[in-house]
Amino acid sequence: MSVWIDSLLAVLAVFLAVRCLLAPTLPQCVFLFFAFGLALALAWARLGAVDVAIAEAAIAAGFLGVLLIDALRDFAAPRTHGETAQKPHFLTQVLLGAGLVVFLYVALEAVWNVPDGGGLTALAADNLPRSGVDHPVTAVLLNYRSYDTWLEVGVVLMALLALFATGGKELFRRPVVGAVDPLLRQVILFFTPVLFLVGAFLLYLGKTEPGGAFQAAVLWGAAGILLHLGGWPVFAAMPRWTRQVLLTAGFGFFLLLGFIFMSGGSALFEYPVAYAGVLILIVETLAALSIAAALTAIFAYFNGMKAASVENEIPDPS
Amino acid sequence: MTPAEIVTVMLLVAGCFFFLAGTLGLLRFPDLFCRLHALTKADNLGLGLIALGMAVHIASPWAALKILFIWLFTLMASSTSCYLIAKFQRGRAPKPSEASAE
Repeated sequence: MSVWIDSLLAVLAVFLAVRCLLAPTLPQCVFLFFAFGLALALAWARLGAVDVAIAEAAIAAGFLGVLLIDALRDFAAPRTHGETAQKPHFLTQVLLGAGLVVFLYVALEAVWNVPDGGGLTALAADNLPRSGVDHPVTAVLLNYRSYDTWLEVGVVLMALLALFATGGKELFRRPVVGAVDPLLRQVILFFTPVLFLVGAFLLYLGKTEPGGAFQAAVLWGAAGILLHLGGWPVFAAMPRWTRQVLLTAGFGFFLLLGFIFMSGGSALFEYPVAYAGVLILIVETLAALSIAAALTAIFAYFNGMKAASVENEIPDPS
Repeated sequence: MTPAEIVTVMLLVAGCFFFLAGTLGLLRFPDLFCRLHALTKADNLGLGLIALGMAVHIASPWAALKILFIWLFTLMASSTSCYLIAKFQRGRAPKPSEASAE
């Protein structure tokens, strides 16, 4: 029975991906992308990787979906791919094709050649008592390979900086256009504490079970985005220094910690065993706060950009 | 089969029926408002019945409470978004009967 469900899910994911790529209009493309993300999240859940499933559903289908819908409004006039897309240069096509073939080869090679005993799984499990947490995924992400996680926090920050660089930050403080629906405001007010609580729960749960900084950050970021949409631009209204501290706290504390222990003679991001648990919790909390702030800021910026273009062109239809 | 299992299966089948009917309505109904009507029925009743079935299946009071909250939150979110979509469509097209979903 479960083989049938899994096969159906695999077929569904590939089918949705193909439909998404071949969709004739942009809105269809975006909504098929949502469906694809949710199918993928279900697939991850079936594989037992609940962490990845939550992250996939929340970041890929949720946050990216919000950005895509927001971007969709800029293409309100019906426009098909055929009219806008230029045929890429021959060399570009060849290079893209070659890159895809290499990528597929590497991916297949990696799947087929998993060493007996699951590679590093045993090593990770053996060192779990020294890592300060009880969940292997959290141990890998925030202790063994914390370098990767640190850079991921940096990537989110970098995305926001790139946005600021392209448009100027004055767009950022613009209020939402038009009156916000009172019902929407009430529902947002109701959901804000719920989102905050569930985020904090996921963050703390990461110590022993699937969950962690990125999953918590997306929920907190969702609360920030909803508040912004409801006419409370919480993040944009903060004083400048508070915003700066919030955005850089995760990345900065991670880096500071790494250098402090490096100066003590150990490797970068090598935590002392006695404090590892506490330190990981602090790092995770700050990283989650920073990522949530960055996600809110990215959305607020896009929304401000939209508001600016509406003021310049046509009045809002509703 | 225990009585609890029979009840679970009946509730799940009934829930799936509402989702099927909602999907059929989404595909076949003529305009956006009818489609929203069909969709919210699927969300409210279909998900409610499936949640009830799962609560009977798991048979733990805490899990049942969590499932109840999942249903309530989904209900709030889906009815709010339904209302917002309908309001947006009304603002855009003055005659609801002529409005189409795309």
